[in-house]
Amino acid sequence: MKNISIGQYYAADSPIHRLDARTKLILAILCIVCTFICKSTFAFVALMIFGVLLVLISRIPPKVIFRAMKPIVFIMLFTALINIFWTGGEILLFEWKFIKVYAEGLYNAAFMTVRIIVLIIGSSIFLTYTTTPIALTDGTERLLSPLKKIKVPVHEFAMMMSIALRFVPTLIDEADRIMSAQKARGTDFSSGGLIKRAKALIPIIIPLFVSAFRRADELATAMECRCYHGGEGRTKLHVTHLGFSDFFALILMIAFGAALVLINIYASKYGLGYVMP
Amino acid sequence: MNKAELKNVTFRYMPGTVYETLALNDVSVGFEDGKITGLIGHTGSGKSTLVGMLNGLIRPMSGEVLLDGENIWEKPKNIGSVRFRVGLVMQYPEYQLFEDTVEKDISFGPKNMGLSPDEISRRVKEAADIVGLSGKELAKSPFDLSGGQKRRAAIAGVMAMEPELLVLDEPAAGLDPVGRETVFSAIADYRNMRNSTVVIVSHSMEDMARWCDVLTVMADGGVLMTGSCEDVFSHAEELKKTGLDLPQITKLMLLLREKGVPVGENIYTVEAAYAALTEIFGKRASLKRI
Repeated sequence: MKNISIGQYYAADSPIHRLDARTKLILAILCIVCTFICKSTFAFVALMIFGVLLVLISRIPPKVIFRAMKPIVFIMLFTALINIFWTGGEILLFEWKFIKVYAEGLYNAAFMTVRIIVLIIGSSIFLTYTTTPIALTDGTERLLSPLKKIKVPVHEFAMMMSIALRFVPTLIDEADRIMSAQKARGTDFSSGGLIKRAKALIPIIIPLFVSAFRRADELATAMECRCYHGGEGRTKLHVTHLGFSDFFALILMIAFGAALVLINIYASKYGLGYVMP
Repeated sequence: MNKAELKNVTFRYMPGTVYETLALNDVSVGFEDGKITGLIGHTGSGKSTLVGMLNGLIRPMSGEVLLDGENIWEKPKNIGSVRFRVGLVMQYPEYQLFEDTVEKDISFGPKNMGLSPDEISRRVKEAADIVGLSGKELAKSPFDLSGGQKRRAAIAGVMAMEPELLVLDEPAAGLDPVGRETVFSAIADYRNMRNSTVVIVSHSMEDMARWCDVLTVMADGGVLMTGSCEDVFSHAEELKKTGLDLPQITKLMLLLREKGVPVGENIYTVEAAYAALTEIFGKRASLKRI
């Protein structure tokens, strides 16, 4: 249980780590937009290069990234297969009974795979790997703060999120302790049928809930004792400022998106490579 | 005879990561049959890890854990039966309570052992008796008890399994003096009734001196010394180096000796100090005993 890492923040010192959380949130959104702008072969090649560069700049070992990809391999295969067999087109490559494979289908499958990979790399590098969960909620709060004008409780949401994140390791620890205690009283978690195993969890879940409620109660009291009254007039201990590198990164990203649009236009105009409909 | 024994046991947390920590470093220690052994040591000295080894919650990376001379990891599948012979009360055991009545909660362990209903109710009654919970409390929800009662209910839950070796990790932490007294005397009663072996982990030198027959001092993942209270407390300097200290009453008596009051050297409990002082000054000087 102790080996579970939530948030998956990877401590390193890279230009991306140093960016402001707000910038990274915007970059992640732009990155997602970019993956969907791509429509032509050259644009996808550019996107692939972009993905590789991103990994290199972030100084996160490729091994760590591959590990994060494992759970989505199935989704990737699934999308690729659907694209191969269900895309109609003009160049027929292979036919057997009702199965028809067109060149367009192969292209689409390859494009979708690249799209998913860059989508995952982009969002996880900009958000989870290089930004601590606390910095992320902080950034979200500041980014959404204009919504306060129309009475959206942005601060309260951000506070709830950071408290929830803060208690994840505590509750894991607690679950671990309660599990040991019940094991010592002879609970067997690893044998028996589904129902027996589910029943064996009751002695864990009830104490865990009780202690979660107790902690929530204590925390609320402690916050009230320190005069917490919501976001109004609250200042921050660490105020981050947008610097030159933040603007530079944003401009670079927008330029990349514009370049992708141009590539698409040229490709469909002069018929360079395959262009998605 | 040693009831349980650790032989050259080593254990690390999170091996192979940057968070790797050496919890136990080649530890060999024995726990004498029928005795109450006190395990003392500073935070992070490896006490809790050692205690988890005794009933097989933690498996040593190297070395052996022996119970009655047999390696408990000989057949890893049978570790469940070891857990019935070695009862472990973890820190703050009241957080493990979950049933709707105290009685049901105490019977959880014996039920898992597959005993007959008659045997279960006998054990529950006896365990509740030892820790001083009445029939009225047995019918209550464990969440309606006071802090001290919850603690005792949780300890009874392990005692009802009637383990040959009872291990308690900080059984009195966070209790008031009366609560501490009840918990420790219940443990002593259990030992006397069942003739079993007991291991108690604690920070409190006063409690250890009062209730334990043997003391084992741990420091930095190893055993520093083992012996009777007299033996261990005569090494005051070494204890201080590991962040431990003598019982306060012992320090007071040593100061009195320095000032020329002829009290004995080996006084570790308030009762003994009281006796020694009344012997010297007579009853007159101690009209009010606190």
